[in-house]
Amino acid sequence: MSTLTDPLVLGLFGAAPLVLAAVGFTLIYYLSGFINVAYGENVTMGAYLAVIFNVKLGWDFYLTIVPSAILAGLLSVATFVLVFRPAMRRGVGPTEMIILSVGMSFFIRYAARLLFGIELYLFDTGKPTYFTLAGIGITSYQIIALALAAVTVVALYLFIFRTGYGEQMRALAGNRDLAKASGINPNRVSLLIWFIAGVAGGLAGIFYGVFSFVNSDIGWNLILIVIMISILGRVGSVRGALVVGVGAGIVVAFVTQVTQSLYAQVVLLVLFILVLKLTRTSAAMRG
Amino acid sequence: MSYLIFVLSSMVVLIGLATLLHLQFGLTGIVNFGVAGFWGVGLYVFGILMVDLNLPFIVALLLATVIVGVVAFVIGWIVLDLDDQAVLVATLSFATIGFYLVTTEKWLTKGVVGFGTVPFPFDFGSSTELVFLLLLVTLTSLVVLYARRIRSQPFGRLLVGIRDNEGLARSLGKPTFRQKLVIFTVTSALMGFFGGMSASLNHFLVPYLLSPTITFAAWIALILGGKRHWAGGLVGVLVIGVIFDILIETYAPIPTTEAAQMIPNIKYMLYGLLLVLVIMFRPEGILGAHAPRRPRREKPNV
Repeated sequence: MSTLTDPLVLGLFGAAPLVLAAVGFTLIYYLSGFINVAYGENVTMGAYLAVIFNVKLGWDFYLTIVPSAILAGLLSVATFVLVFRPAMRRGVGPTEMIILSVGMSFFIRYAARLLFGIELYLFDTGKPTYFTLAGIGITSYQIIALALAAVTVVALYLFIFRTGYGEQMRALAGNRDLAKASGINPNRVSLLIWFIAGVAGGLAGIFYGVFSFVNSDIGWNLILIVIMISILGRVGSVRGALVVGVGAGIVVAFVTQVTQSLYAQVVLLVLFILVLKLTRTSAAMRG
Repeated sequence: MSYLIFVLSSMVVLIGLATLLHLQFGLTGIVNFGVAGFWGVGLYVFGILMVDLNLPFIVALLLATVIVGVVAFVIGWIVLDLDDQAVLVATLSFATIGFYLVTTEKWLTKGVVGFGTVPFPFDFGSSTELVFLLLLVTLTSLVVLYARRIRSQPFGRLLVGIRDNEGLARSLGKPTFRQKLVIFTVTSALMGFFGGMSASLNHFLVPYLLSPTITFAAWIALILGGKRHWAGGLVGVLVIGVIFDILIETYAPIPTTEAAQMIPNIKYMLYGLLLVLVIMFRPEGILGAHAPRRPRREKPNV
């Protein structure tokens, strides 16, 4: 019984930050059309900001979530305004944009390592209450993180598919010229998307920190899986990112149950490559 | 002195990798983000063949190269007909898988404890390291010279044709997928070859060597030097290496040990910044394109 339900429960918890990050990453991919590797550092910085408020300044953990997420969003906007938008305006192609974002990622990651060192930070969440869910011990904070992640994802979903801004956003991503001709201001919507994506990434980092620890590599370790999820979930489809994200979390948890966690990553990456091969028809082959 | 020779040897290996990357990306347009994987598999396979199986140096090296070539062939066969972003993610995944497996398969690689000791192939007393450096310089020069030559050969022109318009090249009857697979397999196998050489250079193998850092070092060097130019990797590595590895790490007056520990972080930070600045302000790198024409860029989409 436990081999069936354990991975489900564990996978659900493990998937919470993954899904958040995948949705945020997908928004940028959808809008700007390039793989933003530096998004991983957005996740890391969200977690570090929460470390500053929670561990260094001693704030209550719940109070740190909102300011950290907002600052992570502003950081994302800053990278967009200072680096990515000028680069796109200079006509840098999609592949070069990826390499550029790798450069950004290096810059931010090692800047963070300079500031915070290589130590592992744990959030000071006070004494958690322990629960048992389907035979697995979990803390109250993990439940709250999962609930908050779920709420955030639902809110994002409603925002994208049910509001005027969401509609403008989708219009802009779908056909830029037509959207502009219809009176949509691309600058404002772009800023908004980068902000929202940054907030989602920051939250992902914070929740990741609740489940384990914070160091300068958490974003980098997450980003490859996030990219895979986003590509597989059909580029830019928030629905796809949700489904694939939860699925990936459960697969990881399942393989982790059976073997070591590093094997889980290996299995997941091999699976992704195979699915990639089976589902994607090449642009070159069609052209 | 021996530290300086080690740094120089590592730089020469990086020149080799960056030049091979030029053949893959600059010439053919294959976005290989798995350099650390091919290099690292060569590193470990060579080490295992030489230390555990006691094979002679040259046999172990050639066997490691062939094994990496087979791996590259399989990966290339799976991903090379996908689009750029899928190739990038798939090769990066391969390198990550290699990194994980080297860590977990302790029975073979000793895991994080480290695998050793891989000796030099020859012993010339105190000048062994210097002779090995010269050997590396010779091998890397061959790769660079080949990169220079291929551009004016039919095969090189075909690769450029594939890069610029694969559909057109195929419609002219060129077997584009097969040619991409050939160049990818051979160049990746040679990355494994340099991995084997690096095993002798490093003596002691740890999984950390397979972290993506070497992939990005090769990319940064190539982009900085000029991705379309045969000497792009050479110039990029020299600029980066002379500034960061030799001048700063060897000669800069470093006040305290705490400051010394910060140096690598500052170095990688500046690597990143350099990469951003080059792509934004001089996307063709220091040398620019070797060919007279410039490729058209796609329409920006902000």
